[in-house]
Amino acid sequence: MSLKLNVAHLYGDLLNTYGDIGNILVLEYYAKQMNVELTSEIVSLDQQFEESKFDLSFFGGGQDYEQVIVSKDIQNKKEALTSFIENDGPMLAICGGYQLLGEYYISAKGEKIAGINALPHYTKSQDNNRFIGDIVIKNSETGQEYHGFENHNGMTFLGNGERPLGTVISGHGNNGEDKSEGAIYKNVFCSYFHGPILARNGELAKRLLLLALKRKYPTNDFTQQEQLEIKPTY
Amino acid sequence: MSLRSSVAITAGRTSYWFLHNFLHGGTALPGKITLAIDPDVLQDLAKNYETVIITGTNGKTLTTALTVKALKAKYSQVLTNPSGSNMKQGIVTAFLTSQKTKSGKNLAVLETDEANVELVTKYVRPKVFVLTNIFRDQMDRYGEIYTTYAKILAGIKLEPTATIIANGDAPIFNSVALPNPIIYYGIDAQEDKEQQALPNTDGLLCPKCQHILHYKKISYANLGKYYCPNCDFKRPELDFSVSKIIQQTPQSSEFIIDDTTINLHIGGTYNIYNALAAYSIARFFAIDSSLIATALNDNDEKIFGRQEVINVDNKEITLILVKNPVGLDQVLEMIKTDPEPFSLAVLLNANYADGIDTSWIWDGRFENLPFNNIPSVLAGGERYRDISFRLKVAGVSDKQFMERENLTEVLEALKKMPSNRIYVLATYTAVLQLRKLLANQGYIKEGME
Repeated sequence: MSLKLNVAHLYGDLLNTYGDIGNILVLEYYAKQMNVELTSEIVSLDQQFEESKFDLSFFGGGQDYEQVIVSKDIQNKKEALTSFIENDGPMLAICGGYQLLGEYYISAKGEKIAGINALPHYTKSQDNNRFIGDIVIKNSETGQEYHGFENHNGMTFLGNGERPLGTVISGHGNNGEDKSEGAIYKNVFCSYFHGPILARNGELAKRLLLLALKRKYPTNDFTQQEQLEIKPTY
Repeated sequence: MSLRSSVAITAGRTSYWFLHNFLHGGTALPGKITLAIDPDVLQDLAKNYETVIITGTNGKTLTTALTVKALKAKYSQVLTNPSGSNMKQGIVTAFLTSQKTKSGKNLAVLETDEANVELVTKYVRPKVFVLTNIFRDQMDRYGEIYTTYAKILAGIKLEPTATIIANGDAPIFNSVALPNPIIYYGIDAQEDKEQQALPNTDGLLCPKCQHILHYKKISYANLGKYYCPNCDFKRPELDFSVSKIIQQTPQSSEFIIDDTTINLHIGGTYNIYNALAAYSIARFFAIDSSLIATALNDNDEKIFGRQEVINVDNKEITLILVKNPVGLDQVLEMIKTDPEPFSLAVLLNANYADGIDTSWIWDGRFENLPFNNIPSVLAGGERYRDISFRLKVAGVSDKQFMERENLTEVLEALKKMPSNRIYVLATYTAVLQLRKLLANQGYIKEGME
């Protein structure tokens, strides 16, 4: 049996500022090494998110203007996206995508922009400051270190039921205060990392792919895929 | 002219003379000295010039150089600022060191940084604004494309009667209604075909109704014959257009503007836009198209220097600066048209001048390169690991691949590459470092640029 995964690239034509397409390319790269055929399609304005079509979702970040347009359109996909997430659908959300999965964010101009409230975090803005620079975090459950580059005005605070993607070793993280970076909720992984995140953190790409495979093919044996060795890229 | 201005101008000219004759350089310092004595000096200096301001993310330098060349076909006195000196000091220096003609027009063509358009406009009262394109650049500095355009508009709004000569294929230049007369140029070389831009393209929202723009022709990125499927927003009528692209190689472009054939001695679709902009400006100043063609066809090494060809032990090394996603992608599109076998080196640094975030390398479609016909691929520079993984994901095999962090080792590896032709794509500080090495080993003369 040939293994296939189909990725929903949410608003890929609008939220693509920091090499976000790289995350899709890296997923394809490791999927190929796992003998999995990975395809992706853009789900954008005025389109439905058909949750049954997708095994994995990716939601990138963009410019303020585009994010405001997306924040309005995504309300029409709220139900389907929430259902995908609650049914353990694997998802990676970066920067603006991360913020829009939460309750709301305050833009750099001070406007309150509604998210879809699928995850319980919220995001405030800093006055005339951005967190910019290299960042390293450690995930306490796996012991893995993740490397990235952050560049964000938003300060995100996690809610009940969410745990951070990692603890900040160097850099700023979610809000510069509580040493947390990113969020994990069910099979959703959120982060402020550019780089793009999966390029420097192949272990995370592997984890997402395995989650998607095991959810789609529950009776399959994935020992071979689990043994894929991720060579350091950073 | 006020006494303060004359003192300032004299001081600036003296310092330029000193720097130029004894230190073989100096383009910003004389301007800086002059401005320190009289901050408003540009007003006096620019008074008797008809000034063209050229701005935009990519293509400013070449468009400026080609424009000067084309204008000189008719006008004896055309002032300009040297390559890269597009901040205020550099512009002051340009006026300081120029001689005005007693009879006829004095023209000034100024490459101007997007963030400086308003400031420069206050002083020089431009007759023409030329807008090349706006793409995402180093995001940590200028921010969004809309913010960049707002900065340019702040300058244009000070001169509502100045003519705008804009790239008509860029939707953003049709997004704000202005009282100024506007001339649009663009490329119309393909058959119409319903299409959408690639998913990682920036600036695809209709400014009127916020739907995703569709296209009938795309040159690259979001440039093309766009239209909104939801409202009446569409590409404006073009005043000057490339009607046919006859042939493109990495070293040359042959194309037709209206009825005039141009043979440009540089490759890349983005350089066709630069030549088209220069052509449009020269036509605005009433120069015959045949004279413009002669000027653009000239193989002028000083103008095409950004794409430098260096002979290293009989290897032909083409050194190309890459600095942002659209620029990188266009360079890749250009080199893949080479009919000769070639090797490739990509040198990535991430110092402040390069942009400290390297994520933009993922927006260049390395996947489209014909790796089967590229015998050797090298990843180098301080961030060689990032570019190395990028190239592996694009399909480079271990057999054809090598990594060299240190540029001295990079240069040695280049000398041993199996093909005679080698393309070296490098970020700003990597270009400087490599040129210094090449100069030390006597392959090039060291420049002050």
